[in-house]
Amino acid sequence: MIEDRVLLERIRGGDASGAEELFERYAPALLRFASRMLSNRETAEEVTQEVFVKVISRAHQYDGRAAVSSWLFAIAANACRDRRRRDHRANVVPLEAVAELAARGQGAEARLDGKQRRDAVRRALQGLSEEQREALVLARYHELPYSEIARILGISVGAVKTRIFRAVETLKARFSEGETVWNAVN
Amino acid sequence: MECRELTDRAINRLLGEADAAESEDFERHLAGCSRCAAGLAGIEDTWEALGADGDASVTPEFRSRTLALLRDEVDRRRIREFRPRTGTLRILARAAALFVAAAAGFAVARGGFRSVGPAPIGSSSAKGVARSAPDLAANPRLSNVAYRTDPDGRVGIEFDATTRHSVVGRPDDPEVSTLLAYLLSRNSETAGEKSRAIELVSGHYGAGAGAASPEIVHALAATLKRDRNPGVRRKAAEALASFQSSPEVRTALLEALANDPNPGVRLVAVEALAASAREAPDPKTIQSLREKAVDPQENGFVRARAASALKAIDL
Repeated sequence: MIEDRVLLERIRGGDASGAEELFERYAPALLRFASRMLSNRETAEEVTQEVFVKVISRAHQYDGRAAVSSWLFAIAANACRDRRRRDHRANVVPLEAVAELAARGQGAEARLDGKQRRDAVRRALQGLSEEQREALVLARYHELPYSEIARILGISVGAVKTRIFRAVETLKARFSEGETVWNAVN
Repeated sequence: MECRELTDRAINRLLGEADAAESEDFERHLAGCSRCAAGLAGIEDTWEALGADGDASVTPEFRSRTLALLRDEVDRRRIREFRPRTGTLRILARAAALFVAAAAGFAVARGGFRSVGPAPIGSSSAKGVARSAPDLAANPRLSNVAYRTDPDGRVGIEFDATTRHSVVGRPDDPEVSTLLAYLLSRNSETAGEKSRAIELVSGHYGAGAGAASPEIVHALAATLKRDRNPGVRRKAAEALASFQSSPEVRTALLEALANDPNPGVRLVAVEALAASAREAPDPKTIQSLREKAVDPQENGFVRARAASALKAIDL
């Protein structure tokens, strides 16, 4: 398989096949990341496109110190932050929404269907701070080690651990509060 | 291990970051601490529950749309690299031209040769070079097109028709203007040649050297509407955007914003229209920006630019 770095060199040389191959390799992961960070399919697609357009314009800036995949995730994390700052629309759902969902599903209707479970988890994720969510998503869904997450987010390994710790503590407490949701997602 | 370390240790274990010694220490503690064992179950359940959030996947439509965008973007950047003269080169070219002019002046003063009319740009004394454009009505195919500029604002256009031609003059001279419009609208063999022609007129008229001739505006509008290469269409949109605003320029940009399949071209159009509307709000432009700002099918960049443009316009 052609190395990612070679694909970047192709892009630098004006060869679109480099960008196409990088897209095939990393678009699924970057779309999943953006989707969880922004909680909106359409916006996530736009940001994923933006990441690859930036890769074309910044290919010459890649210095080889980190893996290309880390570089791509770093661009994606920045793009998601920028997008959230630009769009003041309600991407942040207060955690109360999770509890509210729990209250609606008492008794016999306590077991939620798949979509409701997904929504409950998505809302809980959206209730985390952006910093906590970035670290948790990279760890939980992309299974990246602490050191890689630290490189992507430009923070120390200790800070990564702290963010994930707080995210898990918050989610655990919230799921415990909403017993129904807790049952439902298990 | 102490009880307060439970979450840290549990996460390390879930992420596979705990080494053998840490894992052993953790297990030993759990065996003797029912509270931490219950707490661990809660953390593992939370971790597991997060799996209910399914993965977004790349749809074929998104894939093909993005790949097309990336190909366009690479093309666009390649075309940009054709830009004939950077600022430094332009300064050097001007210095060289001044030197040549001074040398020529000295030679004339010495009676070395007589200059008849403005000297053509560069070397033009080769035999068999026609000094005027061929009959464009016959729709000749022009190839090997080369452009040059001089500090006096004249351009030199050389090309092969049946013989080599070299036409020199200011871009607003009728013959040059007609030839440029012809090259813009037809008969450029490559996208690069066409882009160079566009840059030439954009550099001249966009720098405030008077209004572009209607035939050049018309040729650029036609290029923006019909050229198959999105990089060339984008160049045409940028050139029109640099011109003084006029109804034809606005109409061409509005049409591009509404119909061009390439978001990069639409982005140039929306920015140009926004700039024009800030100076002179035009109902059609405002309406078009409003539609784009809320169009869920529109590319996010274009939509956001339309929305921010509307905010900036004093309505």
